[in-house]
This record gives sequence, C-alpha cells and structure tokens, in this order.
Amino acid sequence: MFDRRIALFLTAVWAFSTLLAAQAPVPYKAPRTVDGKPDLQGIWMTRNAASFDVSEVADGRQIPYLPEALEREQKGDRVDPIAHCSMPGVPRITYMPFPIQILERPGYVVFLYEYQHDHRIVQTNARPHLEDIDFYLGDNVGHWEGETLVIDVTNLNDKTWLDSARHTHSDQLHVVERYTRTGADTIAYEATIEDPKTYSRPWKISMPLHRITEPGFELREQECMEGDSGRAIHPPYRPAAKY
Amino acid sequence: MKSFWIVLMMTAALAAPCVFAQTAPYAPQRTPEGLPDLEGIWQPQTNGAAYSILPHPPGFLLGAGSKVGIVEGGVLPYQPWAAERVKYRLEHMETDPTGKCHYEGVPHSLYFAFQIFETPTEIALVHENMHAYRVIHMQGQHPKDYQAWMGDSRGRWEGNTLVVDVTNNNDKSVFDMAGHFHSDALHVVERFTPVSRDLIQYEATLDDPKVFTRPWKVKFSFKRANADYQIMEAGCFEGERDQTHIVEGLAKIPDHYEQKLNTEPGVAPSPAPGAAGKK
Repeated sequence: MFDRRIALFLTAVWAFSTLLAAQAPVPYKAPRTVDGKPDLQGIWMTRNAASFDVSEVADGRQIPYLPEALEREQKGDRVDPIAHCSMPGVPRITYMPFPIQILERPGYVVFLYEYQHDHRIVQTNARPHLEDIDFYLGDNVGHWEGETLVIDVTNLNDKTWLDSARHTHSDQLHVVERYTRTGADTIAYEATIEDPKTYSRPWKISMPLHRITEPGFELREQECMEGDSGRAIHPPYRPAAKY
Repeated sequence: MKSFWIVLMMTAALAAPCVFAQTAPYAPQRTPEGLPDLEGIWQPQTNGAAYSILPHPPGFLLGAGSKVGIVEGGVLPYQPWAAERVKYRLEHMETDPTGKCHYEGVPHSLYFAFQIFETPTEIALVHENMHAYRVIHMQGQHPKDYQAWMGDSRGRWEGNTLVVDVTNNNDKSVFDMAGHFHSDALHVVERFTPVSRDLIQYEATLDDPKVFTRPWKVKFSFKRANADYQIMEAGCFEGERDQTHIVEGLAKIPDHYEQKLNTEPGVAPSPAPGAAGKK
C-alpha cells in the first residue's frame, strides 16, 4: 500500500516535470558561421533612448554612484564630448541611434559602426590586455561562452560619457559585454559596468539589438564635421538605400 | 648516348621549376568559402604618397622624398585651370581636409596600415588612420543621390584579382598633402592582385573628366605586417593641431620642388609651386 502510494507520487512528479519541460522555451540556437561559431552577422540597431539617459536601461533604473563621484560629475565639463566629434566610448557606442554591422571571421568579430565610422576589431582568443595605453573604445578581448560572445573591455580613457545626461566614469572603467542571439532578428545585449573610482558596485544594462531587415540596407558614411556637431547628436532622418 | 640523356633530364629537371615560376601566376590560399584569400594586416609601400603622389624631394613637409612617387609616368594630366588650383592649394595648406581629421578617400586611405576581412558578400577594409573603414560590396549597385568621402565601392573577382569600382565620391577628399585634388566626377577602378603570400599588388585607374584631360594610373603594393602587428585606435578628432604644423611647415618646402602637372600639348609646364613658400 505504502509502496503503491510512493509509486503513484513518483509517477505524478515524472508526469508533471515532463509537462513542464515540454512547455519551457527551448533556448534559441543561432545559425553557425564557417568556423562553427554562433552567427551574429548582419546590420543591427538598438531602439531606445539610452544614449540620452543610460539609467533607462540600467538594472533597477539606478546607477550606484559613489558620493565623491557625484561631486566630481557636478564640477565637470557640461558639454557632451561627442559634440567634439570624439568617439562615444564603450558601451555607449552600442546604443547610439545608428546601425551597426557585425562581421565574423575565424578568430575575429568586427563591429563597424555607422556612427562616426567607428570600428572595433575583437580577437576571440582571450589574449591578455595591452599595457600602458588607453583608448576611447578600449582594448577589446573576446571569447565565446556557448551561444554568447563575451567581450572584456579595459584600457578605456576617462574622456567619454555614458550618455548625454552627463553620466560619467573614470579611467578605471571595466566593461564586460555579452552578445547572445535570441531569435532570427534579435541579439540580447548586456553590459556589466564596473569602476571602483565611480560606482559603489558593478551594475548592469541590458537591451535588445534588432536586425534591420529591409532588403538592400547598407551602412552609409557618417562623417562628423567640424562645426557640424549638432547633426552627430541629432541624426537627420535617413531613408534606406534604394536601387 | 646514355650521358646525353642524363644531361637532358637534369637540364629539364632544373629548368622545369623556372619555367613554371615564370608562367604560372601565384595561386593564393582560399578562404573557407573558397575565395582568393586577401585577409590579413597590410602595410602599404607607397613611396611617400601621403606627402605627394608625384616624385618629390625630401623635406619636412614632403617626408623622406621619392624619385618615383606612385603615379605612372610621374605626370598628373590636370586641366590648366586645375593645375592653377593645385598651386593655390599647396600655398594654402589649411585647405587640406586631413588636417581636420576627415576621411581620406580612395586611394588616399590605402597609404596606411589596414586589415582586410573577407566574406562572400562584403570585404571590409579597416584602416588605422582616421579610424576609417570601407566596405566593398560584392553585390548590389552604386546608390543614387549619395556622395561620400570614401565613395561607394562595388567589387567583383576576376580570377584571383579583386576589382573594385568606386564612384559616389565627393569633391572634398584629396590624393595627398601636395594639393592634388579631384572633383565629384572621380571614378576609380582598383585592382588588388595577390602576387605572393605576403604581397598584394595594387593598381588603380583614376578618371575625372571635370579635372583631368585623360585617365591616369597609380601603382603600389601592400606587404603583410608582422604577426604581432595590430590595428590600433587612431583618435583624430576636432581640436587636432596638425593644420597648424602643416602651415608652419609650408615655409620649409624646398624651393626646387617641381611637380609635373601637365604635359598636354599647348600647355606650359607649371612653375614650381614650392616657390610659394618664399612669400
């Protein structure tokens, strides 16, 4: 009797768990490139206003500023550095409202940004970071974790802002980006932002990148011209290429 | 008789590789997709073309100098009005857009190190200088109503040679620092031919009927960079002081700097624009 009850219970558990497993979404598996890596290639773009205020896409909509960092921010420059046509830094380059083309070759993922014709060449060999040099777009070292491209970004200078709302950082900024295909036309983008001189703890932003599916769509040249900086911040409407 | 055959065979054995090397073109490696593999980091060998694409003497502004330059025949067939404008531009170095960190255009962007990434549909040239890149589309057509510093590039394979048609150029990019300019009618046909594992021969035919009297050619090569070479970030932005340096350097152009701008019948060769530096 006792045994039968246990058997019945176990059967019920088995049946229930099978039912759950059947209903749980199967994680998306991206098509593969020639060397068997998840294929992130194509032209993508974010659809949000994070470039104007990054807290909008931050976990809990909060940036954990240290008090001294807030004070530093209040005293600092009031002009968005991209108004001088400088590179917007990482992660801001990702959520600038401009298309991004990703190319993949064995050992490399290349990001071509329409904004300011910036680019990032990412080697996926998990090499050590460079020493004694800093960049606007950092030193980018990549590796694959299953379906996810992970980029470790260090060697960032303190001249960029995270958005035009004057959310700043120091040269201790360390960003870990994660790119995971979640469907035919979407990539989940996540960045963990760490800067012991500015924030009390690491914090995270996340947003989808959407594929531009319009046939024949190509990147166009976006040149930030001296005396023309307003257009860099407020891009003019650009119809897609027509043939 | 026996020794004759031995000699003949030995001669044949020795000669065969030579004949082979002379007749068979280099067969480059293939990408995983089966296309001629141009991938890698390339360092151009340009005879100081960034300073002047024509033969030029050494000097502060003109670098180490070159007796040959990259222009075939060492002559630029400018129309007379355009030759005058070259002289004006050389006297007014502040008109050089690269001093303001602008895109360099084609072929100017190829005078500095770049990396090639090659997919069947797009070949990306990622340049270090001016943090520029150029996508050579292996499909589609030149767009209408579009002008760009780097133009619009459409490529195709002719055997192992990548042939690129570049149109949609604006009239703002320049060929070098010596005032050599073009109009928005510029049409460039480039040929990238791998001649060994570590060398690409580059040739471009430039046609611009608004400015020149005939098409002309440039020729130089790209050498594979050392294994530890890496394309770095070049943060050339507004606020650069290059322009000032260029204008200061103007006074240092050697007086004997002569460039052959025009040899068309009935047009006198241009006087040395370097003389402007004495003013």
